[in-house]
Amino acid sequence: MSKTKEKGFTLVEIILSLGLTALLLGLLSSGVYIVAEDWNRNSDVLDESLDQALAVLQIDRALQGAFPHSYTNFDTLGREIYFHGEDDYLSFVSTVSPQRNPGLTVWEIYSVADEGVYLSLVPAFSDDPTERLSESEPTLILEHYSAEFSFLYLDLNGETKLWTDEWLGNEQLGLPLAIYVRFVPDRDYEDINEELELVAGIKANQHRSIRPTLNVGL
Amino acid sequence: MNITAKAQTGFTLLEVIVALTITGFVLGGLFSLVGGSKKLSWRSEESLVQATRLRAAINFALLENEFVEVEQILRDDSYQIRALDLLDDPERRTQASAYGFQFYEVVNRERDEVIPGSRWIRFDLPQ
Repeated sequence: MSKTKEKGFTLVEIILSLGLTALLLGLLSSGVYIVAEDWNRNSDVLDESLDQALAVLQIDRALQGAFPHSYTNFDTLGREIYFHGEDDYLSFVSTVSPQRNPGLTVWEIYSVADEGVYLSLVPAFSDDPTERLSESEPTLILEHYSAEFSFLYLDLNGETKLWTDEWLGNEQLGLPLAIYVRFVPDRDYEDINEELELVAGIKANQHRSIRPTLNVGL
Repeated sequence: MNITAKAQTGFTLLEVIVALTITGFVLGGLFSLVGGSKKLSWRSEESLVQATRLRAAINFALLENEFVEVEQILRDDSYQIRALDLLDDPERRTQASAYGFQFYEVVNRERDEVIPGSRWIRFDLPQ
């Protein structure tokens, strides 16, 4: 009598419960593993792409605030507008400065093959900032990207606005009407990174005393 | 004897299964929450990129108008700019102006988005 009352689980019951437990634990741990793996893999990518998107928006803002800053060229003793734009290089003075620094800031954006797009920032004083730019430490803002620039001007008959891939402030005696930037991902990273485009109209494109003459093509 | 045997009874199989299932559901719910927050941050990243595109389209719309053509440069053609009516002339005007105020729309057919805006345009001659 007492023996039958003390009887525990049968073998089948134990095997069944162990099997179920193993199944559940297995499912749970594989779920945890997948989530953790995925988390590690894409949180770096996410951080980077958020930084990139914010950097692009900052550049957009800086371009809209471009300013026809002039400096004295000590060789010619003339005043020249600081703006240097080529199809793969751009440096300009903007009223927008990061970290809310007072005064004007020189922004230099260029791309290095196989590395990415670099940004240098120096304050704009009354001298030519080219030398100070070369001494400053550039920051890699868009890894595995290259940058292309175009500059908008009104053609001579005033009917169409056209894009050109070179704009030098000291020759054009003014700023372009707008700047277009295209950030192209490197070939190996085309499926991860997306092509980004920026258009920024420049309101302050004429210097207060330096005026373009017609024969330079503005 | 009878009492000790009763006191020693553990969980039944049914109770164990129910407990494990509940644990499983709770843990599963927690993980899906974590996964959901991750998905959300990916979506926000995507919408930042989308915002950059839209900014480019709007800035381009502000450059161009019907009277001075702007050479097309944007490669991304998901946004179309549609020029709408001009603001009505005022009843009385003190001097001629070469500028008009125009409404426009930036349309994305794929995403079913219509973003209205307004811009100054320049006429050939003062009106």
